[in-house]
Amino acid sequence: MIDRQDVMRMARLARLELSEEEIELYQRDLNSFLVSGRKLQQVDVSKVEGTSHAVAVIGELRPDVVGESLPQEAVLGAGPQVFNGFFKVPRIVEGQE
Amino acid sequence: MKYDIVIGLEIHVALLTESKFLCSCATAFGAPPNTQCCPVCLGLPGALPLVNEQAVEYAVRAGLALNCEINHFSRFDRKNYFYPDLPKAYQITQDVFPICTNGYLEYYIDDVLRRTTITRLHLEEEAGKLVHSSGSIVDSEYSLVDYNRAGIPLIEIVTAPDITSPRQARLFLEQLRLLMLYMGVSDTKMEEGSLRCDANISLKPAGSTVLGTKVEIKNLNSFRALERALEYEAARQSRVLEQGGEIKQESRTWDERSGRTLSMRSKGDAPDYRIFPEPDLPPLRLEPDWVFRIRETLPERPLERLHRLEESYGLSRYESTFLVNYADFCQVFLELAEEGEDNTDLANLLMGDYARLAREQGHLEPQRLAGLLQILQEGLITHNQGKAVLEELFKSPLSAREIVKEKGWEVLKDPAQLKGVVQQVLTANSELVERYRGGEEKLWGFFVGQVMRTVQGKADPQMVNELLKGELTQKS
Amino acid sequence: MRRLAELLQSKQISSTEIVRGCLERIEETEPVLNAFITVDEEGALAQAAAADRRRAAGEPLSPWDGIPLAVKDNISTSGLRTTCASRFLRNYTPIFDATVVERVKRAGLPIVGKTNLDEFAMGSSTEYSAFGVTKNPHDPLRVAGGSSGGSAAAVAAEQVPWSLGTDTGGSIRQPASFCGVVGLKPSYGRVSRYGAVALAPSLDQVGTLARKVEDAAILFSLIAGADPRDAVSAGAPGFPVPVWDDTVVRGLRVGVPEEFFSSGLNEEVEKAVKRALQNLADQGAVLQPISLPTNEYAIDTYLTLVTAEASSCLARFDGVRYGERVEAADANTMFAKSRGAGFGHEVKRRIMLGTYVLSASHYEAYYEQAQKVRTLIKQDVARAFQEVDVIVTPTTPTTAFKIGEKRNPLEMYLSDLYTATANLSGVCALSLPCGVDSQGLPIGLQIIGDHFGEELVFQVAHAVEESVGRGTGSEV
Ligand SMILES: [Zn+2]
Repeated sequence: MIDRQDVMRMARLARLELSEEEIELYQRDLNSFLVSGRKLQQVDVSKVEGTSHAVAVIGELRPDVVGESLPQEAVLGAGPQVFNGFFKVPRIVEGQE
Repeated sequence: MKYDIVIGLEIHVALLTESKFLCSCATAFGAPPNTQCCPVCLGLPGALPLVNEQAVEYAVRAGLALNCEINHFSRFDRKNYFYPDLPKAYQITQDVFPICTNGYLEYYIDDVLRRTTITRLHLEEEAGKLVHSSGSIVDSEYSLVDYNRAGIPLIEIVTAPDITSPRQARLFLEQLRLLMLYMGVSDTKMEEGSLRCDANISLKPAGSTVLGTKVEIKNLNSFRALERALEYEAARQSRVLEQGGEIKQESRTWDERSGRTLSMRSKGDAPDYRIFPEPDLPPLRLEPDWVFRIRETLPERPLERLHRLEESYGLSRYESTFLVNYADFCQVFLELAEEGEDNTDLANLLMGDYARLAREQGHLEPQRLAGLLQILQEGLITHNQGKAVLEELFKSPLSAREIVKEKGWEVLKDPAQLKGVVQQVLTANSELVERYRGGEEKLWGFFVGQVMRTVQGKADPQMVNELLKGELTQKS
Repeated sequence: MRRLAELLQSKQISSTEIVRGCLERIEETEPVLNAFITVDEEGALAQAAAADRRRAAGEPLSPWDGIPLAVKDNISTSGLRTTCASRFLRNYTPIFDATVVERVKRAGLPIVGKTNLDEFAMGSSTEYSAFGVTKNPHDPLRVAGGSSGGSAAAVAAEQVPWSLGTDTGGSIRQPASFCGVVGLKPSYGRVSRYGAVALAPSLDQVGTLARKVEDAAILFSLIAGADPRDAVSAGAPGFPVPVWDDTVVRGLRVGVPEEFFSSGLNEEVEKAVKRALQNLADQGAVLQPISLPTNEYAIDTYLTLVTAEASSCLARFDGVRYGERVEAADANTMFAKSRGAGFGHEVKRRIMLGTYVLSASHYEAYYEQAQKVRTLIKQDVARAFQEVDVIVTPTTPTTAFKIGEKRNPLEMYLSDLYTATANLSGVCALSLPCGVDSQGLPIGLQIIGDHFGEELVFQVAHAVEESVGRGTGSEV
């Protein structure tokens, strides 16, 4: 069972501010998913490797050639807060003792 | 109680590619902010990464240089965490299947060759750069983000915890830096962040096999910082243990100003990076032939060169170490030196005045330096004049021989001519000659000086000495 | 479309006239349908005028130059707002074109507008859009399906001749089925994903929707083929429009998986699909009962993988570089507030779920397990294709459901029951109408082909379309 604490922890990890109502809603949804998902855990997978790519493609590598970058105005154009050619963000909390 | 120190290092090396790891933006340092960015390295919706072949090659080269196994199959993973300098909110890295594993690096501690195990080496992308409004992350009201650096290729090199002293850690890192430089994979400029090091350190009772709780130290931006931080931390942990305390597993940061490590308070949850295979990039498969070709063309490693200088060029450990540490000097040396001969003179020239001038003004063409060596060996000029010629070589386009000629610095080689000068000096100072003969031997230097001044230094000191001796003793 | 192309070529109609026709039709039907998020009247007319000039100069870019299309609003269009039906991106205008957009532009196709979808393509009804529900043209009280509901409805309502959508678990085929149009989910890697905003990169594909099989094939021919910007498309062949040959059905081995005709399947849907199958048999196809036993796990596997990947892909929407930011005193709170306010319920639900299955203590039990079950599903499909040429199934268990009918998310997820398997195994699949139910709602038939087997799928679809059109099997 997923409790309220789990939901809060997931929300913190995923940086989602949730309302009280949403916390309850997602707690319920996550639990009902886990009930349905339990079926998956009964499948015998002892003989297989996981699939992380839909098809086994051979990756082509890119030659080390410098291409065009965007003009600074285009880079910053959609930025909610910009300053002097930079994106601006509020205080990064990571205090030290 | 006595404690053994256990240290493991994690080193990030920025690779010297022209373009970024996963897009084609330039990697040049120092461009105006956010001018080397594109949809990929900005993490714009829908943009997809593409691996730079050169970054892979550099990683393999570094891995081979570190005697690693090169894995023909490796895979990229996503490491998820939020931070303003991380455009996609995940870093593309290699977690489960790194490109290189299980190697080692050898280096000297005093005269003893030591070996440190390299657990793994993997490719990953760099984050952007943060500028904090007050200069420090702690009390800044806001921060500014520049994504020019975001997406530059890095290799992360992880050692086994088999380093046993802060000094050893520094020597290891110095050798590693040199190796990366020799391999041509990085400019290794610590001041620009091209080489960064985190250290894990723990203490255990001397001789015990049970490891203690480790502490991670971040922000070690110089060799000195690495050694000092480890020394401080070893002492701190020892003090805590002596007092019956417990070491907390944590990350600490090195504070250069106070010379202390400070705990980086982690608020709340332990990090959970939710690492999973990167679906946008197929696994990396390396052709054995391709790896073989890189192995075949691997540049000489610094340790190999050290041994070669000692064995084939007759240099001491001291001289060889100097030349290996300064690869540019070494290149000059190797162009001019003769294999199988004693090249001590050349080494000393390079290490002395030449080093001082070259560091200020850049290197001379080795052939111009060779010209100087040549006329010194011929005895065309004195050693002292050699210094003056060297200075001129840095200023003038002329060859050493031409400089000597132009300045009229050839040594007076005719003993008769020099003898005349000596006699002239003694005659002019007959009173002093008497005093010398009377036992005032310290006047010898005065006579030498007078002779040299008269010939403007262009005499072989040994010949001057001999002639003076002859003249002064003759008439006694 | 060939007819339209001929009319354009013979100057009996102009691109401008066609586009105007579309715009008029949109104006007429949009108040009810809400298929579009953005209609770019000005841009479309300008592109049409350009197409007409090219025609006049005798230099059309392709036979289809000037035939307009609609593009799902999670596919980036340079200079044209691309919202992903999310509040977070409601004012986001890309600075680059998706590769598929670049390709249709290169063929001269004017873009009429951007179609509605479930926010970030998370849904099966286009109800989860920040821009309102898209209605089914056959019954405005019912959903158009999703997530490409707008693209399907726009084609069905003749607002545009054809459109682009994306399909991660059925998002093209299910709305195509609900709206009575043809929809193709290409093989994984056949079409570039560059510029399509990722939901789950290991499953996403861009595909085509049209009223006729041939038209879906023509549009597909314009977008298929390797793109150096999408690493997983390397090696993808292009796609020439097939020369139709309905005799391919003769001797064709058609797999009929029993699991797709079991409980939960609406009777009328079953009847229509079985009639279409009988039709194929009448034309000489060999119907072969097969088994895809792991299909029962498809939805849970799909859900686990899609939420995991989506939780990572959507992390970049943090309010630093673009999108709607909710200001706060510190960065983490700003992230959480912006995301909390910018995303709808379904998106948050899936991010929560995805975060959970990837978190350190659940990774193995959920995410890794799902990856392994995915392997079993792939193996099942691969085994089936050793015995049969195509697999034919219903596209969805039911016809279009009522708006607001499915309140339970798990119930909604079951809409993808028959479609997710193709995404999980990377093969191609197409849905085309095969009849209507007693309420006049379209029923979809799904033809699944092997990896890169689009040509055969289109041929079979064409044959089915012909027979349905001849009235041999459509009425229920
Ligand atoms: Zn870039």
